[in-house]
Amino acid sequence: MNALRIGWRNLMRNRRRTGITALAVALTTAICIDTMAIMGGVRQQMVDAGTRLFVGDVQAHAPGFRADRSIYRALVDPARLLAAAQALGIDAAPRSYGFGLVSHGIKSAGASFIGVEPAAERRGFDLPKEVFLGTYLADVPAGSVVIGRKLAKSLAVEVGDDLVAVVQAADGSLGNELFSVVGILKIVGEELDRGAVLLHHADFERLFVSDGRIHEIALRAHTRTPAGVVAALLPAAGAAVLETWRELNPSLSDMDRLIDASVYVFVVIFLLAGSIGVTNTMLMATHDRVREFGVVKALGATPWRILRDVTLEGFVLGLSATALGTIVGLAGGAYLQEVGIDLSGLMEGTMTFSGVVWNPILIGVVRPSDVLATIACMWVACILASLYPAVKVARLNPVTAMTDV
Amino acid sequence: MPSSQRVSRCARLFCATLVLTAAAAAHAATDAKRILDRVDDLYRGDSAHGKMTMKVTTEHWSRELELEFWSKGTDKSLVRILAPLKEKGTTTLRVAENIWNYLPKTNRTIKVPSSMMGGSWMGSHFTNDDLVKESRMTSDYTFVVSFEGEREDRQVIELSLTPKPEAVVVWGKVVVEVEDKTVLPLRTRYFDEDLREVRVMTFSDTRTLGGRTLPTRLRIVPTDKPNEATEVIYDEIAYNVPLDDHTFSQQNLQR
Repeated sequence: MNALRIGWRNLMRNRRRTGITALAVALTTAICIDTMAIMGGVRQQMVDAGTRLFVGDVQAHAPGFRADRSIYRALVDPARLLAAAQALGIDAAPRSYGFGLVSHGIKSAGASFIGVEPAAERRGFDLPKEVFLGTYLADVPAGSVVIGRKLAKSLAVEVGDDLVAVVQAADGSLGNELFSVVGILKIVGEELDRGAVLLHHADFERLFVSDGRIHEIALRAHTRTPAGVVAALLPAAGAAVLETWRELNPSLSDMDRLIDASVYVFVVIFLLAGSIGVTNTMLMATHDRVREFGVVKALGATPWRILRDVTLEGFVLGLSATALGTIVGLAGGAYLQEVGIDLSGLMEGTMTFSGVVWNPILIGVVRPSDVLATIACMWVACILASLYPAVKVARLNPVTAMTDV
Repeated sequence: MPSSQRVSRCARLFCATLVLTAAAAAHAATDAKRILDRVDDLYRGDSAHGKMTMKVTTEHWSRELELEFWSKGTDKSLVRILAPLKEKGTTTLRVAENIWNYLPKTNRTIKVPSSMMGGSWMGSHFTNDDLVKESRMTSDYTFVVSFEGEREDRQVIELSLTPKPEAVVVWGKVVVEVEDKTVLPLRTRYFDEDLREVRVMTFSDTRTLGGRTLPTRLRIVPTDKPNEATEVIYDEIAYNVPLDDHTFSQQNLQR
């Protein structure tokens, strides 16, 4: 511990220089923490928007359903999976899918019909809250539909209007029903906006003569990770395929990983900038004390000992600076988490990226692992930064050093 | 024979051969055109009215529909479902490239959007596009006789058709097989742009309807799903009946 105290004392010999360097390192640390918080928030928001609305964390389908979306490729034993999910406290929403035509007046368009259980959707997902006009589906079937915003626009349909649905029913007959539009969704994502017609599963059954077929169970975990949900439900899945949102939306997953990776690149750049300051300071500090080092070496100090002492000095600088930087960084992070940065002034209307709608307020997410990683990396950077000056001094010739001017 | 005489004799023989070959070729070409035109016009007339049964078999279900149809020229047709009860009264009207469906259950008429034209008509293996297309084989395709001889105990002529560059057809190639004597179609094979066979239409049960002798049973089998099929059996046809344009209007759809 003496070495640390000596290091500290040496640093204090030139307070101003130490202080400026410490400030630079502290600032770098704080910036790293806050940048990671902002980018973490961006990633979180992106993933949430892609999953909390409708997709969920995990989905179960019959094998091959995702490839052709055939109405005949239904889950074999959905009740078993639903029961297992309920027992584990995982929100589950069963859905049926079919394709057909909807028409209003002289306008018609292709539509993707989704039979849902409104109560389950309300419990586990955010889509029922994203109604722009009107209301979401009621818990009891009433011949009502909720449609996507862009579909409503292309059909020139308003809440209260009738919609004719014409489909190929599962028994081969022509499915043909009249529905009442009770709600129009907000802009939530390309697929839902353009073609979604949500209806109560009993109404879906009537239209498609689908014999109770369920094609998809979407699951939202609260305490488990998506992989954890898959593992927990695998025994009850039977032949059904369980996939996480990463497999269901690979482009979103790639985007998430890309942002994560690029943040680390930023952090490395910041750390380099901070460490150069430390190297410079240590060079100056050791240069001033060349005669001292000469004397110490003459008295028997090994090069290794000198290396250790100088590096330790750099470490102590890093230690105190990162402590300060972490406090500032966490304060900034707390602000970002609670308040965030409002960018809505910069955007006109809503922005969609990769099928997902962006919230213009950037909220930060501080991950403990990020903070600890930043601190550790900064320490390592300070130590490495001090190595060059340390080596220089450790190899001094005592005689020439002692008599240095 | 003196050489000059020999030369002129050869020349005459050569010219004669040329003329004969040309005549034969022209005759064959006219024959092929005649065959294709006949096949095209077999089910058409200035107007037609009749009844048919359509049986559709798919992997998951099979159904039988009774239909009544009217057609005028090459661009107007009306098809009404008579049975089964669930769809009775459902009517499809086609005028030029547009198709409307009337649905009695909801009492609504909907226009089929162009994005759905490739979709199946009434659940069969015919597409909406099939109903609308008015391609004429002789004007939209270039054709060659690809086979002439005996096949399955019958004398047949096979013609291979390739679409002309400016023709608006969905097929990459069509092969028409007709019986030599009667010039009635036996089989038509349809290929996509990659020249992969997509479906085969076979003609059978030749009878006389409305004064014409023609195959009354048409069967379409998609090549990738050989256990599925759509079969159309003509029960009655009357040709050149008087039909006014009002028959082919949206108002008449809801009758």
